[in-house]
Amino acid sequence: MKRVTNACIGGRNFTLNDDAYNRLDAYLRHFRARLTVPENQKGEVMDDIESRISELFYQEVGESSRVVTLPMVEHVVSTLGMPDGSAETGYSYSTAFSEDKVPKKLYRDMDNKGIAGVCAGLAQYFDIDVTIIRIIMLVTLFTGAGFWIYLIFWIAVPKAETPAQQCEMRGIPATAENMARFPRREENK
Amino acid sequence: MRKGVLEYCILCILSKKEAYASSIIEELKAANMIVVEGTLYPLLIRQKNQGLLSYRWEESTQGPPRKYYEITEKGRSQLTEMDAAWQEMVSSIETLKR
Repeated sequence: MKRVTNACIGGRNFTLNDDAYNRLDAYLRHFRARLTVPENQKGEVMDDIESRISELFYQEVGESSRVVTLPMVEHVVSTLGMPDGSAETGYSYSTAFSEDKVPKKLYRDMDNKGIAGVCAGLAQYFDIDVTIIRIIMLVTLFTGAGFWIYLIFWIAVPKAETPAQQCEMRGIPATAENMARFPRREENK
Repeated sequence: MRKGVLEYCILCILSKKEAYASSIIEELKAANMIVVEGTLYPLLIRQKNQGLLSYRWEESTQGPPRKYYEITEKGRSQLTEMDAAWQEMVSSIETLKR
């Protein structure tokens, strides 16, 4: 079972599975980055490219409710290539989708916070259940030092706010694909 | 150099009749002029902004409207110049090969 995303490409609606969507999104960003036309004309080129992609997908799936899959996207990517006629470089599955461990950094996890995200952040850092950390914290609270420990962490440890920090907290590479999974936090949400 | 030739090719195709991007691609592919399609789009936009091409939207029977490119007067005079330059180049090469 795979999750799907609906996307409007060149004025047509397509259903893409997540692999296909991520791949296409990365391709379009690479293509745009490699364009040598002035910035204000890039949008126009991208519109044309999207229309073409839309046509190619339409040839594959037609009016049916078939889902656009990764092989279809790969086919389109190899047909279109890069603006300078070269093959797409700088993209590989290992960099985009791997969960290669990079050194974790300690942040306060504001998405799973109880009070200030200290326990949740420690849980991310040590990769253990946040409940265990909370229990330990409560035990130390009643034996005396817990309050001060919590307060020191609260002051000393920064919040994980940006997508890059979210990746660092989880110990995954801060690639565009990974960062897209953690939208910037809105304050007071 | 190949890019210059590709621009020449686009003007040649459009001088015969207006076309939308996909049919330009088909012609170029049939003539073995391009390998990947992505190269075409930046060129079209550049030529359009130079005033060599213009475009209009045409309703399509299936799906969204299509963008038809056509050659402008400026484009035609550019093409005449390119034709001359091309002939010159061909004869130069022929002379060198002899």
